Order: sequence, then C-alpha cells, then structure tokens
Amino acid sequence: MGSAIQKAIQLILTADRELVNILSTTARVSLTSSVIALLLGVPLGIWLGACRFRGRGALVVLNRTLMGMPPVVCGLLFYLLFSGVGPFRHLKLLFTVPIMILAQVVLITPIVIGNMETYAAELAPPLRETAKGLGFSGWKRFVLLVNECLYPIITVYLLAFARAIAEVGAVSMVGGAIAWKTNVMTTAIMQYTNRGNFSLGIALGLILMVLSLLVNIVLSVMQRRFHR
Amino acid sequence: MKKYLSLLLVLVMVFALCACASSKIDSEGPNGSAAEEAAAPEVTLNTVILKEADDSMINNYTLMAVNPDAPFVDADGNAVSDVQLNTVGAAALINWLLSEEGEAAAAEYGYAEYGEYLFYLKEDRPISTAEIPEATEETKLIRLSTTTSVNDSGLLGYLLPMFEEKYGYEVEVFSAGTGKAIANAKMGNADLILVHAKAQEEAFVEEGFAYVLDGMESERMTYMYNYFVLCGPQEDPAGVKDAEDVLTAFAAIADGKYPFVSRGDGSGTHTKELSLWPESLGITDDPTTFEAYTDWYTSANAGMGACLVMAEEMGAYILTDKATFLTFVANDGVMD
Repeated sequence: MGSAIQKAIQLILTADRELVNILSTTARVSLTSSVIALLLGVPLGIWLGACRFRGRGALVVLNRTLMGMPPVVCGLLFYLLFSGVGPFRHLKLLFTVPIMILAQVVLITPIVIGNMETYAAELAPPLRETAKGLGFSGWKRFVLLVNECLYPIITVYLLAFARAIAEVGAVSMVGGAIAWKTNVMTTAIMQYTNRGNFSLGIALGLILMVLSLLVNIVLSVMQRRFHR
Repeated sequence: MKKYLSLLLVLVMVFALCACASSKIDSEGPNGSAAEEAAAPEVTLNTVILKEADDSMINNYTLMAVNPDAPFVDADGNAVSDVQLNTVGAAALINWLLSEEGEAAAAEYGYAEYGEYLFYLKEDRPISTAEIPEATEETKLIRLSTTTSVNDSGLLGYLLPMFEEKYGYEVEVFSAGTGKAIANAKMGNADLILVHAKAQEEAFVEEGFAYVLDGMESERMTYMYNYFVLCGPQEDPAGVKDAEDVLTAFAAIADGKYPFVSRGDGSGTHTKELSLWPESLGITDDPTTFEAYTDWYTSANAGMGACLVMAEEMGAYILTDKATFLTFVANDGVMD
C-alpha cells in the first residue's frame, strides 16, 4: 500500500499525460451520464411515486428489476446493437464516448427512478393536502414536490454518480478501453491488473477515490445549504 | 465560502498525513518500497526461463485485412451486407508495416530498453513496396484489433506514431486475447487484425473474413515472430530444463502433476499451450476436459502479467511470450 500511495502522488504531481487524459474521459463520461440519468429519472420517479394509476405496481417492479441489471449485460447489449453488424451500425458509435454515456444512462436511470419513487411516495400524501388547501393545479403541485425533494435529489445524484464512476462492465464492453480515447479509470485499472502491475492499479484506484471524495464534499455542502 | 475552505484544508491535511505515513512506513518497515528499491538489485524472481528457442515454440504474428464482403452475420445469425470498413486505411497500415521502414522499426524494437530484440522478421515474409496514400477525412480512422502481447510489449506504441505522423492516419487499438480480437473483427468492429494463433487465423480465412490485398500472395501475412518460453521455479522439480524438447517437458509436468498456470482465455498463448500437452491428456479450451486435472492445472482466465504473478506465487510452470516475461522481470515482478 505504501508504495501505491507514493505512486499515486507521484502520478498526480508529474501530471502524467496519459493519466490526465484518462481522468478527463472519466469525468466526461460519469458526470454526463449521471446528470442525464438525473434529468430523466427525477420526473419519472416522482410521477411513479406521487401519482396513482393502473399498472403503477407493475412499473415499479419492472424498474426495480432494471435497477439490478448487471453492467456487463447492459454493455453486451449495446455492443451487439452498435457493433459493425448490429442494427445501429450506421451511427458508428461503438468504441466512442457517447455510447459509453448512453450505456451508463440506461444503467443508472432506474436507480434514480427507484430512489425518487420511494421519497415521493412518502412525501406526496401530506403535500397533496397542502396543495389542495392552496388550490394548486397539477403542474404547480409537481413543482412543489420537486422543491420538497431537493435534499433527497442530491443524495440520489451522489448515488448515480458513484455508480457511474465505479462501473467497469459496461464501459469496457462498449468503450473497448482504447488508449487516449475511451480508456477510463476503471478500465485502466483492469488493464494494469491484467498486466500484473497491481501497484499502479491501486494507485489509480486511490486517485479515483479521492476524486469521488471531492465530488461528495462539494455536493454535501450544497445539500446542507438547501436544507436550511 | 468559509465552509468550502475549511473542508479543503481538511482534505489537504489528510493528503499530507497519507504522504507522511507512507514515507515513514517506507523508511521503517521491511515491506516499504524504499527498502525494496534499495534492495532491488538483489531481488530475484523465483520464476525463470527454463526452455526457449525451441522450434515448436515459435510465435508467429500475422496481419490480416478484414474483407468488406465477408459473410458478416448479426447476433441472431442474419446476414449483414453493408458493414462499413476502412479498407483503404487498413491497406495503408499493412503496406507500411510490411515496408522497409516499418519492418526495420519492428525488428529493432526492444533492444534499447531490454538489451534484447523482442521481435524477429520472418525470412519468407511478404514485403510491400506499394505507395501509401495520405489519409483523407473518410480513411483517417483505422481500427486495429490485436492481442494483448503485441500491445503490452509496447511494440504498437513504438510503431504506430511513426505511421500516424507521416501519413496523417489515426489508429485505434483494441487489444484483447486473440480469440476475442478475432471475434471483434467478425462483428465488423475492426479494419485489420494482428494476431498469433495459426488455427484461429486459418479458420478466419476459411470463413471468408480475410482477403488478399493487392500485391500480396495470401490473406495471412505472417511477417514477424518471437518465441514462447516455458518458465517455472528455479528448482525445476519436473526437470524441464534437461528435457529433450518442449513436448517432453510438458509431458513431464503433467506426469508429475506439478502446478501449471494456464491463461485459459482463448488467447494465442493459451492456444499454443493447448497444442503442447500430450494428446492422451485431451486438454482443450473446454473446461470439462481438464476437470480431472484441477489439482495441478490452473485455468486462470486472466492476462499474461496477472498469470505470471500467479505462477510466481504458486511456484508453478507457465507458458508465456518472451516479451511480456522480460517486462515482468524488468519490473521486479510487480506484486506489491
């Protein structure tokens, strides 16, 4: 461990060009995919949690099943769909960053929906009373609910981000871990491990954890403000 | 704002503590890396090369251009006729690799770093004198599917920039075991492949996935080689070193049930290893065929480096390409 920490610090201090490239790709993929998943998942989750309609139970069960989709299966699916012989071959997206983001969005959105659904189901009944009393319409009720959910939304975002940045199965399948293009932290760790270079793998892992820590700190501070 | 600053400060302190702790451990503990570095010249791996440069251990590397009119099928087995491949780019890269300049560069690789040449040119190799066109918008991106051994040895990282700078192409390297590298090409995701498993290459040609480039004689352009080496513990309990040839050595390992680590991942190295066991054992890539041998035969399903670490830990025998082994030794078996 000692030498791994030393290696990690050395890598950061020398601003290793390949490391910088891997870091920026990682940031691009995981930030974009988690934000898109949040934008899609929050309204859907609130709708699923707050509204009562036929088939809601089935949708909830379906979503919970999707929450457990193994990343590698998701990656394999996208690999087949977008590969040179797949139905979407003309888009030429395999082994690019956009397809990695897309696969992660599919992977993460159900998690956002599932968590938002739980929060919304809890918050909705008392809010409905308040809204009724204030004479709010459907749209305004939704805004009120979103406003009430801000605190859990940040928690859910952190969950989505954590899943995105830590995930390796899907990004390695659809990204191909191509140097200077689609190699992210987790796939790079896999590569170094396969080469038997365990300490460099651990060093990258440490950097990944520190990055995750930074994002968490910033968002936690934001969350506190919202809570006041 | 104050909160942010104080949090940042805490973070910096944590970092500083980590750094201090690690350097302290290093100077005190016997496992620290400072101690390791100081003792580095004396650290010797127990795994050494026992058998090499045997004729049956030749490791041929073959280039193949993927045929745009190959019988591609999708995941359901339906024919796909309009797979888009960069045939111009693939031909350009192959012609450069087989040109005087490309071949010379491949042949000299490794000497500066390891004091040993890692790849040798075949005497009957195809040679190209074709003119190489500059890249255009459509032909710029070339997708090369190759094996980990070529990529990990650093050969491609050495060769490709020369080609890219001179002609303006951009080569994307997808590296995996030969089995997966070929499967990737069959899915229409590669313009050319560079692999090292004759049987799998021939099947690829047989199925119509490769084609003969202008000025070439065969679909398979086998142009360089090196040697697989049989490594194992210095004590060599199976007596591999004194064995007449590699086949006898493998038979001796199997006879004595000495531990052996197999890649087990359909790679070229794995394919080679399978061909070296006595036929009576019946070991193939099908796990049921070695179910009875699991007390000594370990199918790791991992990369070469990870397998070498495993063999070193277990005191096992292992078949590896020489380039990866030399890198492994140069890094003191990177195991911490």
